This record gives sequence, structure tokens and C-alpha cells, in this order.
Amino acid sequence: MTEKRKQVIKFIIIAVVAFVLGRLALRFGLNLLLGGTMFGGDFL
Amino acid sequence: MSDMNYNSMSAAAARNEAPYEGASAPAEEKKQKKTEKKKKRRRRMLYVLIFVAAFLAGVASKRISPSWAKDYTAEWDDSLGTLEKDLPYGDKPAQKYDLYLPADDTKDSYGLVIYLHPGGFTSGDKSGDVNMLSWLCKKGYVAAGINYTLFTEENPDANIYTQSVEIRDAVPVIVDKAKELGYNITEMAAGGGSAGHCLAMLYAYRDADTSPVSVKFVFGAVGPSSFYPEDWGCYGFDQGTDKALEGAAGLFGKMAGKEITPDMFGTPAYDDAMKDISALLNIDDDTVPSLFCYGAYDKVQSFAASKRLDVALTEHGIPHDYLVAPHSGHGLQNDSGVMHEYSKKLAEYLDTYLPVQ
Repeated sequence: MTEKRKQVIKFIIIAVVAFVLGRLALRFGLNLLLGGTMFGGDFL
Repeated sequence: MSDMNYNSMSAAAARNEAPYEGASAPAEEKKQKKTEKKKKRRRRMLYVLIFVAAFLAGVASKRISPSWAKDYTAEWDDSLGTLEKDLPYGDKPAQKYDLYLPADDTKDSYGLVIYLHPGGFTSGDKSGDVNMLSWLCKKGYVAAGINYTLFTEENPDANIYTQSVEIRDAVPVIVDKAKELGYNITEMAAGGGSAGHCLAMLYAYRDADTSPVSVKFVFGAVGPSSFYPEDWGCYGFDQGTDKALEGAAGLFGKMAGKEITPDMFGTPAYDDAMKDISALLNIDDDTVPSLFCYGAYDKVQSFAASKRLDVALTEHGIPHDYLVAPHSGHGLQNDSGVMHEYSKKLAEYLDTYLPVQ
């Protein structure tokens, strides 16, 4: 695997993890205010 | 090695330079290391930027409406009909309504749907429901968004009861105005969100007899429907301690605009006092069909109270649909599947109980 390819994979992993964390963070905030579970129902 | 050579080498060493040609390698290595460090730093910065951008995209993605939502909302535009804004139904500044009149004004009769805004009885405005009201108008209904006097510092005497009376007083004015504009209203439905749902239920269950036209059904989400401390665990009133009961008496008393004392809980006197603002206590065999949705983890109002509503409607044989968003709180925010179901049911209720002529 070339160095460049490795980097691209790293970027993708970081982007996916951050995207999921972003959704979880908003869900957490709304749950704190309104009530709700962290998992189940809609995607995250 | 000659003295001259030795001297030039030591001078070079003192200046920290390569003493001879072959010694330029460490300097280059250093330069390379520096470049590598810079590259690493740049890459790290890029990681952080990607993380932040993707994190924000994740947050933003939660705000995107599901694809089905477009079937149950509409953007207002003049092709849908006429929008009369801020028409008065009383003398107080808040006593205003928006009237959505469908483009087709040739029918003999129209159904009216009133929709009452959320906001915990203390905030909110009819303008927040434009998409819902526009959708109803698009379907061929005369729709009305009604404001009511909110409980604020300027209006400390406003409460659920006074607000429900305002809605009761607004409906005949709206029906008359629609007639004046060429839309003959013959039947209606009431709906709302949260506080608005509470007021819609009170209108449909308590005041339907006073309506100038027949009330066909009521719909809404997360509206407070009864006020028993044991149901209101979201505020800790279910603890049963003196402090909890005093808190419950204080809050429920404010909501009803009455003096409630802790010793009244569990007595018929309490039900008598709260009947004016409790949808549950106004259910009987003549209650209209009802559609409602609640979040099982509601932190703002009592989910347990909605179970009582379901039981009472079942006991009285009233057609109703009780939807529960099992992972959501007051915003029904984690269960778009249930919200879709609720929207589909609403369209069914409109077609069944308030069909467009």
C-alpha cells in the first residue's frame, strides 16, 4: 500500500468517526434537554 | 595530517560546520528532518480540519428532514390561496390569528383546521407552524394558526385556563371571518404541538359544545393531559415528599390559575379544581376521535399521563390512535419512523373525519 493510499484511508476513517460523533453529540444535547435514549430509533 | 588541516577542522568544528566535504550529510539530514516535521504538522492540521468539518457535517445532518416529511408540509406561496395575517379575535395584543384560505373558493362548504403552537404556555408564535398550516390549506382546508396570551412577566395572570378560554372565544370569530371571505365552514378539527396540543384537547373535549360548527377530531403531540404528581416524575413530583408535593401544588396551581395545596392531591376536590385544564377529566362517551403521539422519555411533561388518556378513551369507546416514540423525549426527536406513522395517521384522520368536499 502506498503512503498516499494509507493517508486517504486515515482521512476517511477520521471523517466517518467525526461525522458519527457529531450526530451523537447533537443527540446527546437534545436528549439532555428533552429526554431520550442515546441509541435505538433513528440512525444514532 | 598537517597543522594547517588540523586547524581548519577545529575551526569548522567550533562553528559547528562540516569540517570537510563528506560532513555535509548531517546538515542535510537535519534539513530533511525539519521538512518532515513540517509535513507532519501540516498533516496533523489537516486531520483536525477534516475532523471538525465532518463533526459539523454530522451535527448538520441531524437537522435534515427525512424524505417523507415533504409529503406532510408545504412552503407557503400565493398559488396555494390567500393568507390573511394577524386578524384580531379580541382586544389583547396576543389575540390574533392567521387565516389560510385555499385557492379554490367555489365549494359550498369547507372544513376548518385550527393548529395551536407549542412553547410551554410561555413562548412561541403561530408563525412557527406555517408549513403545517400551508399543507392543510394545500389539501383544501381553511386553516388557522391562533396566538394566545402567554404566561410572561407582563402577563403573570395568564395560565392554561385563560389560554383555553381565548381559543374557545377565537373559533366563532374565525368561522364568521371565513364566511365573510366566502368560505362557509361547516365542520372543524383542532390540533397542536405540546402546549398547543393541550389547548387543542381542551377545546375538543371541554368546549366542543360551544363551537359554532361540529368538532370532528383532535390531533397533536406531547401535550400535557392530566396533572397527578405521581405521573410527573420528570420534575421529581413522584417522590411523594412534602417538598415534591409542594412543588407540584405550586406548578399545577399556576397552570390552572387556582390555589392548589398539597393536601388536595388524591381527593375529589383536586379533580374538581383541575378539570378546567385537564383533558383527561373531560373525556366522556361523546368525546371526539383523537390522534396523539408521545415520547416515552419526555422530560418536559408527563409521559405517564398519556397512558391515562389512552385508557380513558378506550374505556369510553372513543376511536383513537396512541403512538409512542420509544426512544424520544418531548421533541420526538429520535423516532422519525413513529413521526412518519403519526403523519400518515393524521392524513387518514383528515380523510375519514373531515373529508374535503
